Amino acid sequence: MEPRKLSRQDLRRCWRSWMMYNLSSMSFERLASFGFCLSMLPVARKLYPDLQQRKEMLKRHASFYNTEPQIGAIVNGMVLGLEEKRANGEPIDGETINTLKVGLMGPVAGIGDSMIPGMLIPILLSIGMALAAGGSILGPLFYTVAWLGIILPGTWFLFLKGYHMGSTSVEMLVSSKSTRLREALSLLGVFVMGGVAASYVRLGTGMEFVTRDGVNIQLQPMLDGIFPQLLPLMVVIGTWYLMAKRGLSPVKAMLLLLVVAATGVAIGLFTG
Amino acid sequence: MAFEATLIGILCYLGALSSPWLLGVTGGWYLLSRPLVSGMLVGLILGDMQSGILIGVAVQAVYIAMVTPGGSMPADLNFVAYPAIALGILSGKGPEVAVALAATIGIAGTVLFNLMLVLNSWWNHRADVALENGNERGIYLNSAIWPQASLFLMRFVPTFIAVYFGAQYINVVMDSLPKMVLSTMNVLGGILPAVGIAILLKQIIKRYSMLIYFLVGFICIVFLKLNMVALVIVGALLALIHYNYKPEPQPAGATVPVDDKDEF
Repeated sequence: MEPRKLSRQDLRRCWRSWMMYNLSSMSFERLASFGFCLSMLPVARKLYPDLQQRKEMLKRHASFYNTEPQIGAIVNGMVLGLEEKRANGEPIDGETINTLKVGLMGPVAGIGDSMIPGMLIPILLSIGMALAAGGSILGPLFYTVAWLGIILPGTWFLFLKGYHMGSTSVEMLVSSKSTRLREALSLLGVFVMGGVAASYVRLGTGMEFVTRDGVNIQLQPMLDGIFPQLLPLMVVIGTWYLMAKRGLSPVKAMLLLLVVAATGVAIGLFTG
Repeated sequence: MAFEATLIGILCYLGALSSPWLLGVTGGWYLLSRPLVSGMLVGLILGDMQSGILIGVAVQAVYIAMVTPGGSMPADLNFVAYPAIALGILSGKGPEVAVALAATIGIAGTVLFNLMLVLNSWWNHRADVALENGNERGIYLNSAIWPQASLFLMRFVPTFIAVYFGAQYINVVMDSLPKMVLSTMNVLGGILPAVGIAILLKQIIKRYSMLIYFLVGFICIVFLKLNMVALVIVGALLALIHYNYKPEPQPAGATVPVDDKDEF
């Protein structure tokens, strides 16, 4: 039997198929499962010319699957490498491949969610928002270029790493060095959020007092003299406390802020 | 306005979470559906790019850290990014009011998002049947192509209606609102970004001590008057120091060698 070798073009087609369709048919009970199946489809015929085997393989990859799509490209690469080996007669059974996939999707989703939407995107957006000050087009353009410039080569690299290194490639993601790197990045994320809070949360009070001698004291300029942006800081810390420690959902937090804003306006505490 | 509404409707569909055409979430959800980017595009289409970007930035602050874990969403960012920002620009009431408007539409939009997930179950079922019959074309069509038809309708139609009719009536509606409501929207728009920031902090901060970095970042802006680019650089250097000097965790069971010689 001549070896069934995947070309670089095959790999690229599988990567592109995953990147495009990972959530294209998402539903509550299947999420990315057909996305994974579609990423195997371009090479299915090449790896398993036999219909029965091919059906088995596609079925294996249509089982429940859900992970963070960008970092998750590494799992697709890995599975593709294993399927290629299996198709060439190595003793890897389908159950092993499936177990590996299912075992990885949780940890990879955890790392991916905290790295991509939890870290990379907020940091790039913060820079983009700052560059967009005054309505400058530079901000959106920066975000577009930086995001695509990082994520396109990045996912392709992870996909290839998974394909070439197999299950050892995941160690790259969970090693103590990468844990430390993630910690350092989360520190950067928190730090930048401090800046975002200071720049984009706005709240001022219109409270005034008139003393007995007829001196008009305005509260806001006084506060600004002591600690500028003190009220926004209190709102952010308060919201964080209620959400993190009291389990308030984002929607409820928004409603709570609505109540705060309406009450504040009604009693003349806040100026809008 | 029909032409503009059509363009915005198409962009809205392209940026939807499960639209595959721009390499999936890479070019869609994480790029086109970021209010920072959509503000620019919608502004460009409606002929006022500058206020589009300003509104985009203000709205972006609320949704800076919206994570979509396993299909449950606190707000439909796609509807925030297109119809809501378009209405915000058309109303001409400034970024804060646009933020309050966007947050409302975002929460309402989750209904359609959940409807899509339910409809896709049906397409999933058809793909399963195709799989059972070994029909590869059927798998492809039922999981890559047909679900897009229902998605397109759910994204394009509401956006088109919102922009087309919004352009005519948003001003009337806005002007008929009592002053109190507008002031509340203004204040609310100013404090809503706190939710976005809190979502991110909740994820990252594991110990109270990490809150220090948040406060340092805050103080760098309000007292030291750094701009955001400088802030990111300072933060990156702090992160680098942390990376280099954080001690490796001791392997479990390893004993620290005790130096019991007297040191003189």
